[in-house]
Amino acid sequence: MSQEEKSTLSGGDYEVDDVTAGAEPWEPIETKLVLWSLAVAAIVLILGLIFVPTSILH
Amino acid sequence: MIELVIDHDGVNWNAKNEVLSVSSPTLDGLDLALEEQMRNKGLVKKGDKKKVFMAFDNSTIPQWIRQYAQHYFNRVVEISG
Amino acid sequence: MASINRKWYSGMTTQEDWWAVWLGLFFFVMGFLSLAGIDLVGWATYPRIWVFNPLDGGKGDIASAFHALGGEYSLTSKEFYGGLGWWSILWTYVVFTCATCLGAFCMKWNLRKFFLGWTCIYFMTIATWFVGHHAFFAANTINCEKYGLDFALSLGGGASFILALIVGLIIGNFFKPFANFLSEAAKPEWYIKTAIVFLGVKVGYLPIKAALTSAKLGKEMAGLTGELFLAGAVATVVAYLIFWPGVYTISRLIFKLPRKTAAVLGSGISICGVSAAVATGGAVRAKPVVSVMVSALVVVWAVIELVVLPGFFTHVWPTTADPLVAGSAMGMAVKTDGADAAAGGLLDEFMRNKIIIETDGAVQWPEGVITASAVMTKVWIDMFIGLWAFVLAMVWVYKIDKRPGETVLPSEIWHRFPKFVFGYFATWFIYLGVFFAAGSGAPEGMDTLLAAKSGVIPVEKGFRKLFFMLTFFSLGVITDFRKLAEASFGKMVWVYLISLFLFIIPVAMLVAWLFHHGMEIPNIAGTVM
Repeated sequence: MSQEEKSTLSGGDYEVDDVTAGAEPWEPIETKLVLWSLAVAAIVLILGLIFVPTSILH
Repeated sequence: MIELVIDHDGVNWNAKNEVLSVSSPTLDGLDLALEEQMRNKGLVKKGDKKKVFMAFDNSTIPQWIRQYAQHYFNRVVEISG
Repeated sequence: MASINRKWYSGMTTQEDWWAVWLGLFFFVMGFLSLAGIDLVGWATYPRIWVFNPLDGGKGDIASAFHALGGEYSLTSKEFYGGLGWWSILWTYVVFTCATCLGAFCMKWNLRKFFLGWTCIYFMTIATWFVGHHAFFAANTINCEKYGLDFALSLGGGASFILALIVGLIIGNFFKPFANFLSEAAKPEWYIKTAIVFLGVKVGYLPIKAALTSAKLGKEMAGLTGELFLAGAVATVVAYLIFWPGVYTISRLIFKLPRKTAAVLGSGISICGVSAAVATGGAVRAKPVVSVMVSALVVVWAVIELVVLPGFFTHVWPTTADPLVAGSAMGMAVKTDGADAAAGGLLDEFMRNKIIIETDGAVQWPEGVITASAVMTKVWIDMFIGLWAFVLAMVWVYKIDKRPGETVLPSEIWHRFPKFVFGYFATWFIYLGVFFAAGSGAPEGMDTLLAAKSGVIPVEKGFRKLFFMLTFFSLGVITDFRKLAEASFGKMVWVYLISLFLFIIPVAMLVAWLFHHGMEIPNIAGTVM
């Protein structure tokens, strides 16, 4: 069997309701995830601006 | 460690090897079904714990997408007897 | 038979990612043999600008519109390769047909379908390459007189790229049965990953090329590529960690999408496109259909970005004042390696022609630097997504789904690692090593650098451009704009539109500016390169 034949999810047989409906309520862990991501970005940004020789601070 | 191949058929997660074969719409359900089947077949004894490795069958992903990414996930679950 | 990643070496002979490495390294080694005086790649075909009626003694004879690069650059077989002319197209076809068919065979594709599709795609790509090099498209207003023209569009090699994309899009959207016939060989991501390995040769060769005119210029170029490496790494980490939570929040709070869909969209729209959508889908244990749907959207939007952004960056902001800000922003904004590298290539052509016109030829930039800046950020993010997916997997398994007994495996980072970057960095660093070993432009090392050049040019120019052309064409073939109108995608189309144009692109431009503003490409006007 070729790899193409094995696939069961190709084509347009999408079950869109499964994918876009049924949003769960926002939970504190999501707030944490978002804020931690932004905090790490801010730290890398500051360190990068200081240490990367081509940044606008140089 | 017991090894299984896992895939998704659009409705259910399916995990199987030569002796085990389970299906469920959710991974939680799949793990429960696996636990039950392993107990029934004597693969895990009461009070014991067994690690099960599940490797995703990437040929489930449509071929045109596989050129972008070749791996979905592998997982290890601990099954209690 | 199931296709699983069990061991660290799984997929080495069965995955496109690895096959990009094998193809890229094979032709790299063939080119590298020029250092031993053996020229095995001089047959690489390449177009020249042409016109129907060249001036007497002028440029553009149609008979030499295609030539073997070895005819110009070979040190050992110049005469032989010089005689190939248009036949070099067939030489290139035969060699690459063997190489790609071997890959297709090992990957268990339908070989007959691949061969037929590849053959059609190859020759149609060559045809668009030829047409796109008519002087009206490819010459600029400074040199068009040499071809007997009063005006030219100044698109450089970009005209061929655009034309290949247009022809591909026409096939993909209006000739569906033919697009299906080509589908087995329409593999833009495989072609661009191979081209990126060839781009590694190019980046390593840039200092050599510059050093052949002056040692100072060579060192400047080596320094510039090093700076792009570092700035690109930091900029992409910053950008991604801003993009992802932003798109996730937009998807969750404004468009009320479920967590897993929002997570997959967050990665798909943010930077990496399809590869990130699949990696994140797996990490959060989403049903594969979520990644498939997001991927279907990504490829369409990526082509829209490819069409819009090179022109925007060239003519609106940052223009030729900050070409490497533009390149870097392109890498962070345009999804999928194929569309990004293609957009970077287009930007390279537009920018270089614009600066020539603006300065009346007093400033000229070497080809490939801007493309390299666009690819650099993309390569970094391709590597970073594996780490990010690992973090998401831990958050989802241990904190959100809270599935007792499940462990997230660190080996997942390796399985998601883009293997083609090994080829990219290996070829880059090896040629950089040749540059330093030969004395960084010192007179006693010139023979070595010249020998390297004869083997590099067919690879970094001939093969790389050919694979870029194949990417443009294939991208068009697999892009179906009707996907955007499908009701099933509904909300996701709007999340994508708003996130991309109001959030991702502006942030990408800002972060690129913070780390690349003021970086200058060495001026090569007046030097023979």
